[in-house]
Amino acid sequence: MNLNPYWGAGFFHVLALFFKRLFLFLTGQLSWQQMASDEVQIFVLVLLSFASALIGTFLVLKRMTMLANSLSHTILLGIVIAYVVLLPFSQENPSHGLSIEVLLIASLITGVITTVLTQLMTHLMKLQEDASIGLIFTSLFALGIIAVTVFTRNAHIGIEAIMGNIDALHFNDLKIMGLIGAVDFVVIMLFFKEFKIVSFDSGLARSCGYPIQFFNYLLMVLTSATAIGAFRAVGVLLFLAFLVGLPLTARLLTQRLHKMILLAFVIGTVCSIVAVALSRHLLSIYKMPLSTSGLVVTLIGCTYFLACLFSPHRGILKRRS
Amino acid sequence: MNTAFLDFFIDPVLRAPTIGSMLMCLAASFVGVLAFVRRRSLLGEALSHCAYPGVVISALITPLFFSASEEALALAVLIGAFCSGVIGLWVIDKLEHRFRVSDDAALCFVLAIFFGVGVLVASRIQITHALIYRKIQVFIYGQAATMTDSHVYMYSGLVLLSATILFCFYREIQVSFFDRQFAKSIGIRTRLVDRVLFFLLVLAIVIGIRSVGVVLMAGMLISPAVAARQFTHSLKWMFCIAGLVGAVSGFLGNFFSIALPEWGKKAGFDWDFILPTGPMILLSSVTICFFALFFAPDRGLLSRFCRIVKFRDRCILENVLKSMWRKGEGAKVSFKEFASWASYSQFFTFFLLLRLRRQGWMEKKQNLFCLTSDGRLRAAHIVRLHRLWEVYLVHMGQKAEKVHRSAEEMEHIITPELEKELTDLLKDPRQDPHHQPIPRKEV
Repeated sequence: MNLNPYWGAGFFHVLALFFKRLFLFLTGQLSWQQMASDEVQIFVLVLLSFASALIGTFLVLKRMTMLANSLSHTILLGIVIAYVVLLPFSQENPSHGLSIEVLLIASLITGVITTVLTQLMTHLMKLQEDASIGLIFTSLFALGIIAVTVFTRNAHIGIEAIMGNIDALHFNDLKIMGLIGAVDFVVIMLFFKEFKIVSFDSGLARSCGYPIQFFNYLLMVLTSATAIGAFRAVGVLLFLAFLVGLPLTARLLTQRLHKMILLAFVIGTVCSIVAVALSRHLLSIYKMPLSTSGLVVTLIGCTYFLACLFSPHRGILKRRS
Repeated sequence: MNTAFLDFFIDPVLRAPTIGSMLMCLAASFVGVLAFVRRRSLLGEALSHCAYPGVVISALITPLFFSASEEALALAVLIGAFCSGVIGLWVIDKLEHRFRVSDDAALCFVLAIFFGVGVLVASRIQITHALIYRKIQVFIYGQAATMTDSHVYMYSGLVLLSATILFCFYREIQVSFFDRQFAKSIGIRTRLVDRVLFFLLVLAIVIGIRSVGVVLMAGMLISPAVAARQFTHSLKWMFCIAGLVGAVSGFLGNFFSIALPEWGKKAGFDWDFILPTGPMILLSSVTICFFALFFAPDRGLLSRFCRIVKFRDRCILENVLKSMWRKGEGAKVSFKEFASWASYSQFFTFFLLLRLRRQGWMEKKQNLFCLTSDGRLRAAHIVRLHRLWEVYLVHMGQKAEKVHRSAEEMEHIITPELEKELTDLLKDPRQDPHHQPIPRKEV
């Protein structure tokens, strides 16, 4: 167990050290196994902002963010179901974190169940769309909490699911996050044109014969896969902030889709690195341990506010002058 | 311990949580109706998350100024939650109108950011004021069990306040919901009504998050309203039914959270815990809501399905009568022949004929089927409606060769009143556009 090199470092010291060590990692002078916990946090957050820049942009454009919100709640039930289904087959102790197959099954189940139920409520029961979203996700989430209580005999386990526990991140989480980011990237790149046309002009897409429903479900499954990856690492809340906050900020700064995705990713990366450095700074200089997830979300909020001020086409400063 | 229904209202430990949750659900369902009718159901989801940082910050600040008594803290938390809820509301409004963010993205963004700020501050409290931190965590998932009588007094005051406001503004709210332009024209300030509505929404959320928690608050607002909508068209009754559903589910949630593990224990499981109250309240309310969605007398899924089946069935019967009528008066058809031109299975055809005979529209003579005089009248009436509709469509400017298909559907739908209107409008025509005679209306 080697000592964390970031121990006691201030803000700029952390930044300098991070980029120096990043260079060493990339040139192979340091092995990946020697990664310090701060670096794991940064890499996970950067990967997450990559994945959510890709998916979130389309979610925002397709006005499906509330469905993503409901997914981020219902994955609790998905994970419980996946455990109950897989427990007889797996030898390992379920408290050891999520294996890949559990993740996969849980995300598939959650994405499909939530979307199907919500659409059923809208079409079959003739309910308003937002009412059906609210009804389905709260009831599935309540079921999830009850199920967790029954299986673990502890009523307070769910809190960590919302907050995440970013300080307990492990190298394995990085692997999972990387895998999910890669899957998101491949799928979105494969169907980039299709996603673009479906989100900008669904009427045209329908008349050209694109299966709109299929792409909706695909996007939802990707979202829930990413949510589950983020679930243990940083909590669903931070995931939501990334998913909606980054594209909205980028939207204020640009009008083009490619730029929007790229910009969202860049903003996410900067926010993550700054937040981790800041939390280390506060800890070492002021002895003030703060939740890094909370810090990242607050930073994203501040960035959005800045973007509101300086946005080229609808900024506050722009109109007054 | 064997808990009876009445114990929940008498027992000093159970009394406060039960009555408190019932009051809170009552307030939530009143306001939920307003949000549902305004089509802003998910606003509650965002605002309940917005209240969290207020809870945390006020819990951090209060001990600095006042003695940290239980009552002072509870009151401060309520005020803090209310303030940050209002700020959240303002931000959402700005995002939607000033920055043209679509409403779902604005809600989602605000809830995530506000909650994140709450988490940030909470992580500070966790170290410095561990005791307060534990009290605050209650607000995320809700915990009715630790409510005391003083909470109940406070909440009943708030519920009374929101009910009074609702009662005083009832007319204005009603008018401005159903016809905004009309409301403006008779001098109701619709923006003020909206403000009152949002004020009530934040108030209900502040009352509610203590017992069902931030996350499930949205469902508690929506589900009683949805259930009530299934049973009535009138706003007044919607409030009453939703209030009833809310209060009942508030009680049931408390009841089942204790009773269910007890039953489990009796059934031999090792269930030595109490289920969380918040989720149980929500699940009871959602169960009632689903029950209403399926089985409500007029709008329920089951009764709508029955209506569709009945209508299809009537169409089939009427089509059979029509084709028998076309065969001419006194035409006789054997079962085999009948089954061959009606493209149904033999089994289905048998039942069809049986039912037609039961209705007295057909009779069986020496293994041959023919229409009775009643059946002839009925069939002639359908043909009359069909041809009347064709005349009407041509009258309205349609081409004669295109009107048949529409008339095939309309013949089953046209009511006697509509028939009379058509007859008067078209001056009781004798011939349809295809030069077929229209049967006279029998007296």
